[in-house]
This record gives sequence, structure tokens and C-alpha cells, in this order.
Amino acid sequence: MIASALAGGFIGTLALATIIKAAAEAGVTRLDVALLLGTAVTDNRRKARALGYIFHFVLGIVFAEAYAQFFAIVGHASWRLGALLGALHALFTATVLVSVLLPVVHPRMATADTAANDITLIEPPGFLMLNYGRSTFLVMLAAHIVYGALVGLIVHL
Amino acid sequence: MRVDGYAPIEDYAVIGDGRTIALVAGDGAIDWLCLPNFDSPSAFAAILDSARGGSFTLQPAVPFQSTRRYLPQTNVLETTFTTEQGSVRVVDAMTLPNDRLDPMRELVRSIEGISGRVAMRWCCKPRFDYGGAEPRCEWRYGIPVAVAGGDAIAIASWDAGTPVWRDARVEAEVEIVAGARALLALTSAYAEPLIFPGRSDVLARLEMTIAFWKAWSAAHAYDGPWADLVSRSALALKLMIFAPSGASVAAPTTSLPEEIGGQRNWDYRFCWIRDSNFMIDTLLQLGCDEEARSLFWWFMQATARTVPQLHVLYRLDGGIGPAEREIDLSGYRASSPVRVGNGAVEQTQLDIYGALLETAWLYSEGHHALDADTGSVLARIADHVCDIWRQPDSGIWEVRNGPFHFTHSKVMCWVALDRAVRLADRKEMPARHAVRWRAEAEAVRAFVEQHCWSDELVSYTRTAGSRDVDASLLMLPIIGYGDVGGDRIRGTIDAVNRLLRHGDVVYRYHADDGVAGGEGCFLNCSFWLVSALARGGRVDEATALMERLVARANDVGLFSEEIDPRSGAFLGNFPQALVHLALIDAAFALSNGGAS
Repeated sequence: MIASALAGGFIGTLALATIIKAAAEAGVTRLDVALLLGTAVTDNRRKARALGYIFHFVLGIVFAEAYAQFFAIVGHASWRLGALLGALHALFTATVLVSVLLPVVHPRMATADTAANDITLIEPPGFLMLNYGRSTFLVMLAAHIVYGALVGLIVHL
Repeated sequence: MRVDGYAPIEDYAVIGDGRTIALVAGDGAIDWLCLPNFDSPSAFAAILDSARGGSFTLQPAVPFQSTRRYLPQTNVLETTFTTEQGSVRVVDAMTLPNDRLDPMRELVRSIEGISGRVAMRWCCKPRFDYGGAEPRCEWRYGIPVAVAGGDAIAIASWDAGTPVWRDARVEAEVEIVAGARALLALTSAYAEPLIFPGRSDVLARLEMTIAFWKAWSAAHAYDGPWADLVSRSALALKLMIFAPSGASVAAPTTSLPEEIGGQRNWDYRFCWIRDSNFMIDTLLQLGCDEEARSLFWWFMQATARTVPQLHVLYRLDGGIGPAEREIDLSGYRASSPVRVGNGAVEQTQLDIYGALLETAWLYSEGHHALDADTGSVLARIADHVCDIWRQPDSGIWEVRNGPFHFTHSKVMCWVALDRAVRLADRKEMPARHAVRWRAEAEAVRAFVEQHCWSDELVSYTRTAGSRDVDASLLMLPIIGYGDVGGDRIRGTIDAVNRLLRHGDVVYRYHADDGVAGGEGCFLNCSFWLVSALARGGRVDEATALMERLVARANDVGLFSEEIDPRSGAFLGNFPQALVHLALIDAAFALSNGGAS
């Protein structure tokens, strides 16, 4: 179960990151998960992107392990259940994790308390991450449903 | 000064960061800026549609006069506005990144009071996607932000008034007193969150940018005649090199017209193989080894996919296309259509093979050895030239009523084979087909001498069997074809001088080219005439012409593609790399006393 969740987390995150990047390149969203995560620990753009990708995959695997625990508790794993968890995961990420918690802990993200600062700040995502484009939540939702479905499928195998 | 909202083309200066550029008018308006790169859609395109294109103006709110200059040895522009109430200095720059949390692109406008109290007004009206995308106008914690699709810009300001959004433009007024300093920073993002800079970071990047340009200029100093203009040309060319790939744009604009109200409006935001040998030659002469190496390898990689056939032009990322299309902008002073993409990509132009082999030869002459793979690729190209040189083509001027047997194209095929033989002799290319290359080079020469010469004109002709001359024939002595002191080259220079020159400047030809409308005189051809005269030993004549030509530069030392010979107004895309390359070549030719 641990190994399959690990594999599912890696493959699922790969698919999720690809979908978000493709949507960004298509001009649908300005969400850049690697830059958001990486700039929490460094103000160097290149290092931030590299570290951010690593963080993102680590988080993806951690969440896959959580999914696997849920599957074990309910005694059932499938791509459908994974997709449902992915949808809930997207909602949680867009409303709480990234929109509320990340700006609080992120040292380089503008918040409601930001005024005439003299330090460089990164644009906050806003409610449902809509600052990054009106379709950003839909992109997030689709990407997380694919992520959850892949985790569910691989754990089920 | 402005006509129907349009500044004269010669009224613009250029600032950039090696990825994109902005055109800044003498009245403080930024009327052209593509984001994030040269070949991206525009955020400001008032130069192509004053009503819908979008712009970023910054000027006194009262009547003013302005003078400007680049800060010495930099691409940072300083405009001084003088009013009855006092004077203000504005410094415009696109800042360079410093490996911190920099904005993706940043345009800084620093406003400093020199004397008195001057009311300043600024207004940013972004219109993404060539004016086609009305932005959503929002705020992020006090900072105005405009968003459309994957594009976003923010206008951070310090001591520059209180910005307000009004009719999809953000604007403010501020009174600048002597000694005060206000600051505006336009930051942009594509497919990523915006970065909101801090004031001290902006000022630090501005200082670092000034220091970078000064250091770059000092490292590539030229102390011959016309040093100021050569230095300015070098700085302008450096701005036109797309740093992420090493490719250079022919010009950073599209569809500035070759005739006011005309339809000869083309997109030059691509890299032409033709320009490569001029660019490599110039970069090496200026000591820009790094840029020359980068450009050469970009060419070898971009062309690798289609070898031995070459495309006329490539995208800055090395790709092919996009197809030419017309977009919904009214055009500079109603010169429509406005085009994006360039249809010449589909043409057959034989001279590009000579340009590439000449580029390789110059690169090798610059003490850069070619590796075995590159040599093999060049050998395949030389073999291909042997197979195709007898075909007609669209020629250097990309005529749309061809194909014809252009003399210049044939000569460049000779150049391709001649350089292949030379490189093979130096063992930098496989020599197994060198006998064929030599024989075909001789056949090309025989064709040119037999079919492309007119006893009547006492000149080589535009095309085989024609009775026209063409300014591209001035390239013959420059590229090393024929006897530079011989009757045929001298006769050809005289014929161009006699038939195509209008005052100080030169038309490229008078023949039909399949496109309606007229055009101005081509400034690169005018500088080629200087180079040809100098190489022909007519140094005094060349020097006199050079003096008159350089006086045609605008107030900050830049040239567009063409000039109206009667009014002196600039025409065509601006600034144009080929003109500045030709200027530098002419200056070097004269500083060498006419020697190549």
C-alpha cells in the first residue's frame, strides 16, 4: 500500500503539474505552484522553481499516502473514489491551504496588511485563487481530480 | 508634433532588456511594448493604433519642451522636460534581473525634479493581445493591476500621486519639486503570479542596469571615426539580441510603414539568416565573442531540422513560422494592414545559403574552430547549393511577383561554394566534394559574368537578362566577389549611384516587385554604397557620403529601415538591425582606409 501510494503520488503529481503548466501556457491561468512554494524559502527565482518542484512532489506523495490511509479505512480503493477525494482536495487547497494559510506563512507574499512596503512581494492567490485568472479554480479542480483518480487507480492495482 | 495622435517614427528612442523593448516618444509616451518577449503580442501598441493600441504616458500637465539623450554608454534613456514652472528629468529603463525575486519584466520610470515645481501626469492604458483584449482592472492591496488571460501587469508607484482606475486606464497627477524623486515601476508576468517590487529593489536594479551597460560598452569600445554612432549602433544591436536564445531580431517592431498610408507593412520580429553574416562579422569586429558564438550556435541548431534546405527566417526560439496574418489595428497613420508573422518564410531565397556559409567562414576566421558535426552539416548545404543554384528565387528583397534569376542570389551561391572550398582547404569541412564545389562555383561565376552583365548599363544587372540595376549589387565588393578595383565592379557602383541614388540616400530598385504602393530609400543600401565606394578606393567620396548619412540619425543616434528622401522622415520598422550593421561596416571600412 505504501509503495503503491508513493508511485501513485508521483505519477499523480506529474499529471497535475503538467495540466496546470499546460493551462498556464495556454493563457488560462497564472498559477505557478513551483514558484509559489519555492519562494517561501528563497528569493532566488531559479532556486525557487527547482525547490518548488521538489516540494510539490513531496507534498503530492504525502497526500497520496493520506489518500491510501482513507482507502484502507473505508476498505475500498478505486479511481472513482480517488477522483472524488481529488475534488475535495482541490476545494480545500483553493479555499484554505493556498488562499488563506500560504499567505500567512509565506514570507514573500502580499497580504491584506501589506501597505507601502519596501520589500519585493509575490502576488497572493486570493479567494479560490481567482487573482491568477478566473478559470484557475476550474484548472485546479480538473488537475486534482486527475491526480486523485490516478492515485486511486494505482492503489487499487 | 503628433499627427492624428502619432509621433514621427524618428521621434522614438528604444529601451530594452535583451528580451523585449519599448519605444519611448519624445513626449514621454511609451507607444510599443510586447510582453514578455519581442515576438509576443503587444501590451502597448499606440504606434499602430493611437485609439485602441494602448500606451503609457508620462509628461508635464502643462505645455513643455523636451530634450533627451541616452545616459553615456548605456541603453538607459533620459528625457528632460522644460516648462515655464520648472524642469523635470525622467529616466526610463528596462531593468535587468539580478537573480533575486525579480519581476518577469520591469520597466522603470524615475522622475526627478531639477528646478521649480512641475505638475506631472501619468497614464497607463494597457491593451493586451495587439489591442484585442480589454483588461480586467483590479487592485492588489493598493497596487493597480491589469489582467487578460495569462498576461498581467502591475504599476507600482512611489511619491507619484494617487493612482485611480478610470475607463480601463490607471492615472495620477503629482507635483514634482526641485530635488524630489518619484518612481514608477511597471512589472509584468505571463503564466505566473506578478511580483510587486520594493522601492529600494527597483532603484538597485536601475543602478545595476546602468552599470551593466557601461561595463558592456567599455568592453567593446571602438575609437575610430564616428565612434559615438558606432557605439550607439552596437548598443542598439545588443538590445536586439534575444538573450534566452542568442538570436537577433531584424527589428523589434511590426508594420511601421514603408510609405505613409501604404500597405508595405511587415513584421520584422524574427531572425533572418541573411543578417547573420553581417551580425557575426560586426560582433567579432566589436569584440563581442560571446554574442557571436551564441548567435552562430543558435543558427546551427535552428537550421538543423531542415538541413540541407534552409528557411529564410526563424522564430527567436528557433522554430518556423508563424504564418502571416492581418490583425485588427488601424495602422501607423492609417497605414494598413498591420501584419503579424511574415509570409517570406515560405519563399525560396538562394542567397541565404551564401549567408550561412559566409557566417561559418567569418566565425572560423574569428579563431573559433568548427567541430566535425558542423563541418558535415555545412558540406551537405554546399552539396545542396550545387543542386539548386540554377533555380530562380525571390531574392534578397523577398519580391512577391517572382521567382527570377537574381544576380545577388547567384553571387551568394558562389559565396556559399567559395567559402565551402576555403573551409575544406582548412580541413574544417569534409573535402570529399570540394572538386565539385569548386567546379560549380566557377559555373556560377560564368553564369553571372555572361548573363547578369549589361554593356549598355556598364553594370551588373538586377536579374539575368534584365536592364535594371539593384542596390543589392553593392554587396558584390563587400562580400568579395569580383575585382574590387576592376571595371565591372566600378561600373556597377557608378550605375547604382547614377540610377538609384536620390541625394544622399539610395532606393533599392525601381522595378515592380508584386506589392502595391511606394517606399522610401533604404538606409542599409545607402551605407552599403559608402562601404562599396571605400572598398573601391574612393575613400574621399565615401567619407563625404558617410558624413551626410550619419547626420540623418535621429536625436539619439538611431535609424529606421528607410527614409523619405524629400522630407527626411523615417519610414519602416525601427530601429532596424541591418541599417546599424551596415553603418558599422561602413565606419570600419573607412577606418581601414577602404580595406576589407
